[in-house]
Amino acid sequence: MNSKMLFAAAAFVVATSAAAQAEETMTAVGWGGSWNEAYDKGVFQPFTAESGVKVTLDEWGGELAKLRTQIESNAIVYDFVSVEAPALEIGCAEGLFEKLPEAVYAEKDDYLPGTIHPCGMASDTWATVMVYDGNKLTDGPTSWADFWDVEKIPGKRGMLGQAQYTLENALMADGVAPGEVYNELRKEGGVDRAFAALDRIKPHVVWWTSSTNALQNLSAGEVVMTDLYNARVTAENDKGSNYKIVWEAGFFYGTDMWAIVKGAPNQAQAVKFVEFFAKPENQAGFPKLYAYGVGHKDVEKHLTAEQLERLPTSAKNLPYSAVYDTDFWAENKEALEQRFQAWLAQ
Amino acid sequence: MTTSTRPQTAIDRAPGNWRPAFSRLLANRDLRLFLLVLPLLAFVVVTVVVPVAQFLYRAVDNDLLAENLPLTAASLASWAPDQGVPGEASFRALAHDIHNAREAGTLGQVAQALNQQITGVRNSFIKAALLVDEPDGVTPEELMQAIPALGETPLWALLQSAGSRWTDFYLLQSIDLERNAGGEIINVSADRAIFREIIWRTVVISVNVTLICILLSLPVAHVLANARAPWSNLLLALVLFPLWTSLLVRTVSWIIILQGEGPVNATLLFLGIVDEPLRLVYTRGSLYIAMVQVLLPLMILSILSVLLKLPKELLRAATSLGANWWQGYWRVLLPLLSPGILTGSAIVFVFALGYYITPTLIGGPRDQMLSSYVAQFTNKTLNWGLAGALAVQLMALLLIAGLGWAAFRKLQGARR
Repeated sequence: MNSKMLFAAAAFVVATSAAAQAEETMTAVGWGGSWNEAYDKGVFQPFTAESGVKVTLDEWGGELAKLRTQIESNAIVYDFVSVEAPALEIGCAEGLFEKLPEAVYAEKDDYLPGTIHPCGMASDTWATVMVYDGNKLTDGPTSWADFWDVEKIPGKRGMLGQAQYTLENALMADGVAPGEVYNELRKEGGVDRAFAALDRIKPHVVWWTSSTNALQNLSAGEVVMTDLYNARVTAENDKGSNYKIVWEAGFFYGTDMWAIVKGAPNQAQAVKFVEFFAKPENQAGFPKLYAYGVGHKDVEKHLTAEQLERLPTSAKNLPYSAVYDTDFWAENKEALEQRFQAWLAQ
Repeated sequence: MTTSTRPQTAIDRAPGNWRPAFSRLLANRDLRLFLLVLPLLAFVVVTVVVPVAQFLYRAVDNDLLAENLPLTAASLASWAPDQGVPGEASFRALAHDIHNAREAGTLGQVAQALNQQITGVRNSFIKAALLVDEPDGVTPEELMQAIPALGETPLWALLQSAGSRWTDFYLLQSIDLERNAGGEIINVSADRAIFREIIWRTVVISVNVTLICILLSLPVAHVLANARAPWSNLLLALVLFPLWTSLLVRTVSWIIILQGEGPVNATLLFLGIVDEPLRLVYTRGSLYIAMVQVLLPLMILSILSVLLKLPKELLRAATSLGANWWQGYWRVLLPLLSPGILTGSAIVFVFALGYYITPTLIGGPRDQMLSSYVAQFTNKTLNWGLAGALAVQLMALLLIAGLGWAAFRKLQGARR
């Protein structure tokens, strides 16, 4: 190596390290897999192009414990995280998250119910829907009452083995409209009514714990219908399956929320992203690639009819839905899951 | 040993000459061993003992409530639930505490912790925070309107418990017990009782996995010990193979093999043994298969290590003395193998107790083990008190198993 090359190399090192210092970065944490891919391609890459902030996309399972330990030990590595709405509620109360910029929260009326919060805004709205295999069942179910009716459509049913989502479905099967379900659950005897409905279907249920095993049960014919997350169904249909989502039976949608971690090292960059993401055309980048909705009502204008149709929050599907009540679940989750486990073991 | 018997010289005993004393000290065998394991010991204390102790302490830790509700707790010092709802002074103390907690930014955590013990009070406490700008101006009626549970005694009893830095609530809850209004320990109602069932299930699964491993390992170890050179290596590699495969790959393979349209069911259907596919996956059975596959090598290796040291002629000797093969095996070989079986059982049982990824993937909701719940309460609901209490139960199981194991070994030693 002659001295010229050495000089060039040194100059290169100095130049790149200077660039690295000037470069703005942030670490965002999503749910991994195809979810992360869609977010990276549809939202974060355009954001980097516009703002120059480089985004490192990490993944997790939504464990608030990780944030609590990072904050308690003052070693914060996550700047920006997607958490389930009830966890946002808990984390916001615990002071794990920063408040949204005021200008963004001020436009809360432009958002769908449950998709904006003082501590966060929707990263994705997903739904648990009823689904069956169109190739195996020509005359499929149209209501949750049909799901419960094993004489009309014989065969096992797949259901998620936990209280949350299942109690809601049980009340819908018992004739409660989606919008009334939480009033019923809060009423004296409402939870008992849901469990009584579950008693009737219990012998016919194959419980699932992960969406992968729910899909396997359905494709292997172990169950004739199941509840499932809608984007998982769409992804399978894209690969050639013919699963039918029964939107009109009624469904609940839930929201995962983007939130800025309290004291995050790259808070300013995260705020920049929130401001970028508050524009509907930027939010639309995600539902274009993935069958989950986002919060802003005007996102629809930026999607094709086909992209819209598969979203829980589209104008066509929304009338059949109600939003998961995060207040209810933040208070009752542990007690009801415990009762559900006890019921399951009987 | 020679140093200690060496006659001491005058120089040795001279004051200021530390060298002989030091070498005598080093010659102490126990001390030398202690110094050798010291790095390991320090490592274990720092990375395991301290964090685990901290986590277990969460089971009885009541600091959060004690630090945030001191005025309320003090005002209730001489109160008892049978006196009914306490007087205005306690309401005012509570208003002050809520105000202070809000200012300190801890109200959310306090509301969360209270909600863990009395379901449904979380949001009302957060709502009440809006009222208490002037804590002295808040009337009991206003506060009760925001927090309806203040109209009954259980919430006051809970607030009173903030007077102590410790609580037994989570430990009791982890074995389906609670305190009633009078402070007596009672069983929780049947629709909330789950933890005894889960603890029992964890023990049953672990014991069964251990027993299945013993039964399968004995013949395999026997074959391995008697196989010739190239075959014995190949067999050993096969035995070890599950240990080298990633846990996820291994478990998902079982799902594929056992599922409704999988090869096992296809074969059974083809042979006409069954008419419709059996439900093999997401059952207790599939959980046993997956767990045994992983843990079997540990048992085989433990037994093999003992078996290889035994003279091969033992069985023949027994036969020549008139025993048949079975008697020889049962009465001669098996007792000699028991140290290996015991060690293997201890390893397999302890590993099995802590399983939770495999049950999550391949078991049904009724096959989930204790660790799943520890993880759930730690990660999802942030109820670290209950997570800590369940971890205490897991440690208790380990301790009981350890004591049983030691007693069994002693019994065996005495018999020999």
